[in-house]
Order: sequence, then structure tokens, then C-alpha cells
Amino acid sequence: MKLLPSLRAGLERLLHKQRTEQELQEELDGYLQDAAEDKMGAGMAEGEARRAARVELGSAEAVKEEVRSVGWENRLETCGQDVRYALRMLRKNPGFTIIAILTLALGIGANASLFSIVNTVLLQPLPFKNPSRLMMLYEGLPQIGSPKIPFSTPDFTMVRRGQKSFDSVGAMQDKEFELSGGGEPDRIIGARVSASIFPMLGVAPALGRFFRPEEDAPGQNVAVLSYGLWQRRYGGRPDIVGETIDLDRQPYTVIGVMPKHFVLPLPGPQANFLPAALWVPMAFTPAELQGWGLRYDLSVLARLRPGVSLQQARSDGQALGTAIESQYPPDVLKDFYGARLLVPVFPWRQEVTGPVRPLLLVLMVAVGLVLLIACANVATLLVSRAAARKREIAVRRALGATRSRLLRQLLTESLLLALLGGGLGLLLAYWSKNTLLALAPADIPLPQNVGFSGGVLLFVLGISCLTALLFGLAPAWHTAGGELQPGLQESGRGRTAGRSHHRLQNTFVAVEFGLSLVLLIGAGLLIRSFAKLLHTGLGFQPDHVLTMEVPLPAHAYPQASQIRNLYQGLVEEVPNLPGVKEAGIADDLPQRAAVFHTLELEGRPQVGKPPAVTETWVLGNYFQTMRIPLVAGRFFNRQDGPDSPPVVIISQAMAKKYWPGQNPIGKRLRHEENQPWITVVGVVGDVSDGPGTQQPRPHIYLPFLQLSDTLTADNIVGVARSMNLAVRTQTDPASLTSEVVAKVHSLDPDLAVANIAPMPQLVSSLLAGPRFNTTLLGLFAGFALFLSAIGIYGVLAYAVAQQRHEIGIRMALGARPRHVLRFVLAWGTRLACVGTVCGIVAALALTRLMKGLLYGVGATDPLTFAAVTLLLLLVALFASYLPARRATKVDPMIALRCE
Amino acid sequence: MPEKSSELVQGTLDMLILKTLALEPLHGYGIGLRIQQISRGVFQVNPGSLFPAFRRLERQSLIKPEWRATENNRRAKYYTLTEQGRKKLKHETREWETQTAAIARILKAVPGELG
Repeated sequence: MKLLPSLRAGLERLLHKQRTEQELQEELDGYLQDAAEDKMGAGMAEGEARRAARVELGSAEAVKEEVRSVGWENRLETCGQDVRYALRMLRKNPGFTIIAILTLALGIGANASLFSIVNTVLLQPLPFKNPSRLMMLYEGLPQIGSPKIPFSTPDFTMVRRGQKSFDSVGAMQDKEFELSGGGEPDRIIGARVSASIFPMLGVAPALGRFFRPEEDAPGQNVAVLSYGLWQRRYGGRPDIVGETIDLDRQPYTVIGVMPKHFVLPLPGPQANFLPAALWVPMAFTPAELQGWGLRYDLSVLARLRPGVSLQQARSDGQALGTAIESQYPPDVLKDFYGARLLVPVFPWRQEVTGPVRPLLLVLMVAVGLVLLIACANVATLLVSRAAARKREIAVRRALGATRSRLLRQLLTESLLLALLGGGLGLLLAYWSKNTLLALAPADIPLPQNVGFSGGVLLFVLGISCLTALLFGLAPAWHTAGGELQPGLQESGRGRTAGRSHHRLQNTFVAVEFGLSLVLLIGAGLLIRSFAKLLHTGLGFQPDHVLTMEVPLPAHAYPQASQIRNLYQGLVEEVPNLPGVKEAGIADDLPQRAAVFHTLELEGRPQVGKPPAVTETWVLGNYFQTMRIPLVAGRFFNRQDGPDSPPVVIISQAMAKKYWPGQNPIGKRLRHEENQPWITVVGVVGDVSDGPGTQQPRPHIYLPFLQLSDTLTADNIVGVARSMNLAVRTQTDPASLTSEVVAKVHSLDPDLAVANIAPMPQLVSSLLAGPRFNTTLLGLFAGFALFLSAIGIYGVLAYAVAQQRHEIGIRMALGARPRHVLRFVLAWGTRLACVGTVCGIVAALALTRLMKGLLYGVGATDPLTFAAVTLLLLLVALFASYLPARRATKVDPMIALRCE
Repeated sequence: MPEKSSELVQGTLDMLILKTLALEPLHGYGIGLRIQQISRGVFQVNPGSLFPAFRRLERQSLIKPEWRATENNRRAKYYTLTEQGRKKLKHETREWETQTAAIARILKAVPGELG
């Protein structure tokens, strides 16, 4: 059929309905007249001829209906009728409509908001030019258990020079700055980036320009601002380009501003994942360029050359590793213990989304289940309503409506419900998206700009239609079908509702319970592992401890002695403040320690992997402040200075691992071959390394005053100049903040103190990730439980109401209230049991998805399974109890009379 | 006129209407009558099929309606064959001839004809 003329004709008919109808009538009239005249010509009497003609035509209305049904516009019209009728039906039952729409809105809304995140995080490409060609490069020593290491500077320059697979290669590195000039000094996270990075990403600056390649050199102090920093600190002034700002008390010229949604580095990868507020050129120093084997902390990005496959780049990476290795100074190379150095290549996207993928998938499954439960709930409601509408449907069928016509009508109602629910759900999702993102901890790589794009709208539309089919099809099939006679009879007086209603509803409720069980078990497992996390022994007492970072800009503190003096001054002065008990300084706070070092132990032959330990430099009464107990030997004291013999305090785990059954006091260890031996003078208790680590790692503590001058003053090693101050207070630690900060400023008024936080808050912020998972899944599970309870309540309440008559007869014949009670309770419990059994089977299969999110709990933890099953059955019992009690209150006389 | 008319082969009504209109433009009753006359009463077309067929053919732009005065000076909707309709009729006719010839051959086949 020709599309266009058909479209035009159809539209014409829709627009000029009256005229076409008139013309049709006239045409038929003409036909009748012609036929009658013909018959009269053949000798019939006029009246008879007319009657004969009419008989020949049959029902004029039927003919018209046939004619009307030609063409697409007719379907549109019946659809319009269906919608109008459905709206009328929904308006007539506001209670049902509101409950159904709300249920669906919550289900669809949860899906929409999660999908908007999944869409941005997992489905959409990275917001850069041709992002699938962007790779992240690492160094790797898989043979000694380190498959992915960030790059060190000399190794990176080797790769940049020697590689053949990439158009361009660039490095980036998070760096904290003190930003001053024009307002309060501010600690900000910035990043050093190679000049090649911005052109590689292909994003144009909103203002100004990027670094030129010649600016990627020491002394070229230029900076590009992020949109956020530009707005926040400089009020979005366009004349900021060309102005000078102070970073770590050095003047930098602002040369550009990036567009609003530009984020770099992207969250996710294991190193350098903090989105920067400004970017400065990488500008390697000569010391960095010569730092073989020193600092492995560069993230390296590269764009694949056109025509080069990932496979090729990977095999080139192996060759690159060998080339780098050949340049290593031999004394550094021996730290590899014979392992071969590789340069692994991974798509950047995979590095970014990798960490968050399992969590999002689990949550997506969870909201999917919630939606299914919502569907089952609405379906039971529809079945209940179908019973009430049985007579209406039967009458309509008797009047000639076909089964498919009724089915279409009922599905239209469902679709309308789902679309209304979906619309409301979309609004809910839109409102709740910021709450959801705010709940998410910073170390989960969620983008700041989760968009409600067309994709989300399409998703909601699609899921609404699917939902309508899911909850509407079975009840509609059930309602529209069936035999005509029973339909007319059943709804008559004195009959109980059809058994088939109950069967369908029972199924839905059992399904609901099964799905809820799966969700509850998922939530239960997370709650259990969260509880385990909370009760992991910390090894120190965080309460009443205030912490803050006191970073010293290299420019103002070039000398090791200046650094020592300032920190030494702090630990001496701060305890004099009223309300302060003790103070100490460390480069890493407990649970944050991340610096690993390899060691050589005296009298222990170097074979295989070297001992790797966590290392912390401490000053003042750090152990006393944190209440880390002394197990043997002594704490550091004033005498452990630069000129006295080097000493170390080790953790119990260290003692147990390397000197089992011996007294570790007096044993010696050293960092490298040519360095002095360090004597163990004390053993302290183990400190937890943060949530998720079950066994405390070996840990050594070194006196800050013995840190060598070169390392302390070294511009590269920022550790020594950004120490953390810990203060034990008598009262609420937060209340002393201003006094302690004032004390810092009394030593140097220009210092910007960063990360001020009471230690308990730091401890709990480390649990933010697990708490997020647990809260969300718990929320979904609770919602599911609530819906299931409503479902079982609804079915039983409906059944009791329908069977008042029967219950009345039973009671009249001598049944006691407790018989009736037991009967109804048994019904509810049976449904829950069937659902639970199915749910356990499904949960066994599904919780495996969550393994990565659990801590200290198996995916099939029997305790969780048992507890959740019990909880669910109790809820079912309670939800059944209310209608059961109502059943016992049936007065046989009234029940029989009201029929 | 025989008492009982033959059933039309499925889908041939459209072709018959087109053929009728190829001779001259006609209105609804005229078309039915003409088919009946030419077929010598074998086909008696029910108006219940005739009118939907008109609408269908109109939609496919094979025929074109036009209000004209009849010989009895009444207004009636006359249908004319369009150029597309003419083509379609030609195509359908050829198709029909091929098929009927083939069917006739099969029906007349005698044992051993191919052997």
C-alpha cells in the first residue's frame, strides 16, 4: 500500500469525519434506492422492493462498520476510545488507581535513577574525542605479584621515546597545592599533566588555551583552571586569563579555563583518581628524570595510533618493558628479584568503570527485583478488581465484544497505569538523584554530572510498557477469557469468588515473597559484612582525637632543619593548650597508611619476595595520642635524634612474621644494602589497615627526627612536608579546632591547614563505601518486604471479604474462631513458604554476584539465610493475622443475611 | 438468474471491480449489477463486501471517487479507474491467466502424460 496517500486519506477522514460519514450514508442510500428501483422495474411492489433491497444489504450499520475498519485511522480511533474508557475506569476507582500508580512509580523511579547512573558510568563513552582509542599504561611485575604499578618518571620518558603504537603519550599526577593570593589560602587538589594530554583528549578550553609543549618544562609557571574553581574562587570573571595566582607561594599565570563538565583525572583507577581543580604542566625536574626506581606514581594515558590494535599495543608493551629494564641501574634492578618488567595496556574506560561495575550491577539487579515485586503487587490488585468487573466484562462479551478487543481494552488500562506510574517515577528519580549521589562516598567513581538524557527517558518509557505487559497480561487474559455463562452467574448472589482468581493471586504473592527473599538476603549479607567491618579491632582509640594535615610549601621550607623545627615546635606547643592531653605527628594516620617499603633483615637471606612493610614516620607522643599500646621495649624519646643511632619500633604482626618465637628487641633491619642498620627498640600493638583487610600487615614506625636531610628537604618526597597532627583532647575534639589551628598559625601565619577532622569521623568515612551499598540495598529490600506484606495482606483480606458467606456458614455449623483463624493463617503461611523456598534457590544463584562486595561473610552465609527466612515468615504471619482476625469476627447471622 | 450464486475466489473481487471500472466509471450499485450481469448471474456481490472493497481500492489510489448526477438525476458517487489501477489490473489479469492456465492443465492431466 502506498504510504503517503493512505496517510493523507486517513488524516482527511479523521479531520472531516462528519462529511465522510454523510457521504457513506448517501452512498448506501443511493445503493438501496437503485436496488429498490431495479426490483420495482422487475415487477415488485414498492414496499416489497424496498424491503427486499434492505434485506440484500443486511445491517447498514454493519456495512458502515466494515467500511470504517478499512485503513489505519480506525485503529487509532478505537485506541482513543480505549484510553478514554480506561481513564474513566481509573477515575471511578481512585483508591486502586492511586495505590497502583504509587507502587509502580516507586518501582520505576528506583530503576530510572539507578539507570541514569549506570547509563552515565557504564554505558556512555568517556566524554573525550574518539574515547575508545584512549589507553591507560602501567608498569607491571606480575611475577612478584604486582601486575599494575603506576609509572616512575624515567620509565615514563623511556616509554614516550621508545613506543610505536601510540599517537601520543602523556602522564598525569595528583598534586595538592596551597592556593593563595586574592582571598583566604586554600588547599586544593590539582594535577600535573603533560602538555600532550589535553590535545590527546580533544576537549577545547572554554577560555584561553592549553599548555604549549615548550611550557612543559621547569620554571614555566602556567595553570589551567577547572570551571568549578573558576566559578567558586574567581566568580567566573573572564579576565582571569592572564592573571597571576599563587600556588605553594609561587606565582603562576592562568592561561585557560576548561569547560563545565570536564573532569580529569577521572575517578576510578588505582592511582591519581582525584578530579583536579586546576592543572599545571608536568615539567619534570632533573631529580625526577634521574629517579630510577624511586617514585612510581604517574598515571600514563596514550592514544592508539590509527590501525593499531589493542593486541599489537600490548605486545609492543612487552618489548617496551624489556627496553626500560635494560636502562635500569643494576643496583635498582635487583629490587625486581628477577621478575620481568612489562608495560601492560588497558582501555582507559575499563580502568575507570572497573571498580564500580560490580556494585552497580548488583544494585541494578536489586531495583529490577523491586520492580518485579511492584508488578506482582499491582497484578494481584488487578485480579481482585477483575473479580469485581466480571459482570461488566461478561455483559460486554455478550453484546459482541471479541476476546481480543477486551484484551486490548484491559491492556490499555494497564499501559495507562504504567505510564502514569512511569511519569511519576521519573519525577521521583529526578528529585532523588542528588540525594543518591550525595549518599555515595567520594571514592566510588560516580560522575558529578549524572544526566537525565534522552536515554533515560527512553528507558523509562520502555520499562513502563514492559511493566504494563508484566502486570497486566495475566490478569487481562484471565479476565477477558473464560466462559461466558459462569461469568454472568458467578457474580450473582450467594456465590464465592472463582477459584481461578485465587490461584492467580496466590501465584503472584508467592513470587513476591520469593523475590523479596532474594533482596533481603542480599541486604542481609551486606549488613552482616558491614557489622564485621565495624567490629574489626582498630588497635587504637579514635575517640577524642582531632587530626589535621599541616603541609609545608617547599618554597617556604626548603631546608630539612626548617621542616623539623616547625613540626617539633608543634608537638611541643600544642600539648600546652588547655583541654589537650597529648599530641603527636605522623606522615600517615592509622588506616590510611599506604606507603610500602621493602626491607632487608639482618641475618635473613634474601630469597624470593623481600619483606614488604607499611612504614610510618612519627614525631612526639604519637603512640600515646592514638593509644597504640606498647607491647615490649620502649617508645621513641628525645634522644632518638639525627645524631644518635637509628632506631625503629615494629608492630606485633611484624615481630610474629619475621622473628617468630624470638625477642625482636635489638634485632636490626635496613632499607637497602648501603644504608645503615636500624635497631628495633620497641614493639607496639597492631593497627587495622582499614576496612577490608583482615590480617594486620607488618608495620614499622621510624622517628621523624632521624629522616635523612636529603629525603626531608627533597622536593619530590612530599611525605615529609605534609605531616598529620593528631591531638588527644579531654572533651569533644571538634571544639578545640580553632585553638589548635591558631597554635599552628602562631608558628607560621601563612600555613593552610587541611583535612581537619576528628579521628572517629575519619574512621567512619572509610566505611562510606560499604555503608552506601548496605543502605541502598537495605532500602530496596525493606521496600520489597513492605510490598510483599501488603500483597499477602491484600490477597487474604480480599479472600476473607469474598468468603464471608462461607465463613458464616462454617461458623453457624460450629466452627470455632480459632479454626477460622488457623485456616486463614495457614493459607498465608503456605504462600510465604512456597515463595521462600523458590527464593532461597534463586538467592543461592544470585548472591554469587555480590562476592566482591562482601567482607568476612560467604555469599551463602547460612546464618543470613536462616535469619532472613525467619523474618520473612514472621512478616507473612503478621500480615495474615490481620485479615484472619477479621474473619473470626464474622457474625454468622449478619454474613448470611447480607447475602 | 440461478438461486444460488457462486462464492468469489478469495481476493478476486478487487480485480473484478477494477475490470468493471476499466470499461466505464460506475457507482456502487452499478458495479455490483455489472459484475452480476457479465458473469451471467454466477457472481452476486454482497454490498457488505462491495463497499469496504471500494474504500480499500480508494486507499490504494487504484480508483478515484467522484460525485456525479445519475441518469435519474440523483447524486451518486462514481468510481473511475486511475492510471495506477489500470496498471494493477493489467498485472493482475496476466497473473490470473497464468495461474488459471496452469490449474486447468493440472486438472486435465491424464495418467502417463509426463511418463
